[in-house]
Amino acid sequence: MSTRLRRGQAPTRRMAHIWDASRCIACGACVMACTQANAPEMMFREEKGWKSLASNIRRIDGVSPHGRPELLLVQCQHCENAPCISTCPFGATYYDTDGRVRLDPARCAGCSYCVTSCPYNVRWLHPDNKLPKKCMGDGCIDLTDSGQQPACVQACPAMARDYGDLNDPASSVSVTLRTKRSRRLLEATGSEPKFFVVEGSR
Amino acid sequence: MTPADLHYQVDVAHWGWSIAWFLWFVGIAGMGSVAYFFVRRAPLAYVIFGSLAIGLLLVVSHLGRWWNLPRVLWIMVINLDFNFNSWMLIGIMMLSVHLFMTLFIVIAHLPFLTNRFGWLGWTKALNASNVYLALYAALGAGATVYSGFLITQAAGVPLWNTSLIPVLWVISGSVAAIAVLELLYVFGLVDARVSSFGVRLGMGLDVLKLLAVLGFLHVALSFGSAGARFGAELMTSGEYALMTWGGVIGIGILIPLAIGAYTIFVGKSKPLLLVSSVAALAGVFFLRAAVLLAGVWEPLVL
Repeated sequence: MSTRLRRGQAPTRRMAHIWDASRCIACGACVMACTQANAPEMMFREEKGWKSLASNIRRIDGVSPHGRPELLLVQCQHCENAPCISTCPFGATYYDTDGRVRLDPARCAGCSYCVTSCPYNVRWLHPDNKLPKKCMGDGCIDLTDSGQQPACVQACPAMARDYGDLNDPASSVSVTLRTKRSRRLLEATGSEPKFFVVEGSR
Repeated sequence: MTPADLHYQVDVAHWGWSIAWFLWFVGIAGMGSVAYFFVRRAPLAYVIFGSLAIGLLLVVSHLGRWWNLPRVLWIMVINLDFNFNSWMLIGIMMLSVHLFMTLFIVIAHLPFLTNRFGWLGWTKALNASNVYLALYAALGAGATVYSGFLITQAAGVPLWNTSLIPVLWVISGSVAAIAVLELLYVFGLVDARVSSFGVRLGMGLDVLKLLAVLGFLHVALSFGSAGARFGAELMTSGEYALMTWGGVIGIGILIPLAIGAYTIFVGKSKPLLLVSSVAALAGVFFLRAAVLLAGVWEPLVL
C-alpha cells in the first residue's frame, strides 16, 4: 500500500496513465466508470463548471481545422513537478510512494488553490464536501492497492487505457511508450506530467 | 478557438467577488501601512485594522471547508510541516502578523485603554518607534505583493502568470491608500497637511497605473498563450470590457486624473475630492475583479 512521500524521499514507483487516442471509440465508459467507482453519489449530477458529468475524467470534444470531430480525455496527470503540490498551503495535496498526486481530506480547508493551479483543469469541487476531487479517487486507490487496474482501465472496451509503472521497463505502459508514438499535454508548463496520449504506431 | 472550448476559473474554482474584495482590502491595508509610516494618524490605523479584519474574514468565509481549518492548522503545527513554496501560506502568515501589529498601533491610539490598563503602555512605545513602523510598512508592502503573487502562482490561469500583477497591485494599492487619506480629510478626520501631498502623488500613481494596466493587457494579447490572450480579450472587448474601460480606466483613473488636474489649477474642493477618492477606490476594486473574473484555463486541443 502506498503512503505519503516524505520530504526528500524518492518515489519507489512512477505510476502513469496512458490514453490511446488511436484506439478510443469515444464511448464514455471510462468517464462513467470513474464516477461510479470514485463518486457514485454524483452519477446523475453535473459538475457545473465543466457542464458535464462530475467525473475525474474530463471529456473535450472539438472539431479539427478540416472539420473532423476530435476528442480528448484528460484527467490528473500525476505531474512529477505538480503545481498543485507547490501551491497547497496546508500540505493536503501530496505525492505518495507510487509517485501519484493524492489528496488528504483531513488537511484540506477548501481554498481551491489546487484547482486554479492545475494547468489541465482536471480538479472539480465536490458540491457536498467541497473537496477538490481528481484522479485517482478513493475507489481507484482501493482497486490499485488490491492489485487491480483503475476503474477506467477495466471499463474500456477498446483497450485504449492503461496504467503502470514507468520505472519498470517490462510494464505494459513502458512497452507501449517505447513502441508507439505518444505525447504529453502542455509540456511547456514544466509540470512533467505522467499522463501520455498515444497517437498510434511509430 | 471559441468560448465554448474554454472554462472560466470562476465557474470551477469559484475565485470570484469575495476574493476580489479580499484583494481590495489587502491592498488598502498593505499600502495603507506604508502611508501610516509617514502620517501616523489614528483614523488611518483604524481603517487598516478594519480592512485587514474584513479581508481575513472574507477569505476564511470563502473556504469551502472553513470548519476544517482549526484541524488543518493543528496537523501542520504538530507535524511542523509547512509548505513555504505556497504563496497562500506565506500570505496567511504575513496577514496574521500584520493584523496583530496593526492591533498594537490601534491600541496605542486609544487613550481610554492605555490609561485604564497601564500594562498596555508598551503599545505607545511601539507606535513611536521608527523601527517598528518601518517593519510595519515593509510588511504591508509585502502583503500587497503577496496578494499579487497569490494569483500569479496559479499555473492553471495563464492570464495571471505574469509578474506584472504584483506590480499592478502595489501601484493600485498605493492609489487606494492615498484615496483613503483623502477621504479621511474630506470627513475631517485628518488635517489638510496629511492630504496635501496626495493630489500630485495620486495623479502620478494614476498615470503609472494606466501604463501598468495597458502593459498587462498588451503583454497578454501580444505574447501570451491562447488562454492568456482570451482572458485579455474578455477584459478588452468581451464580457468584462465595460468593467475594464469604464470601471478600471474611466472611473478609476481618468476621473481622479481630471479632478486632480482641476484641483491643481483651481484649488481643493472637498466634494470633488470625495468623488475622486471614491472613484479611485472603486477603480482599484474593478481592476482586481476584472483580472480575477477574466481568468480562463489554457484550452486543451488534440
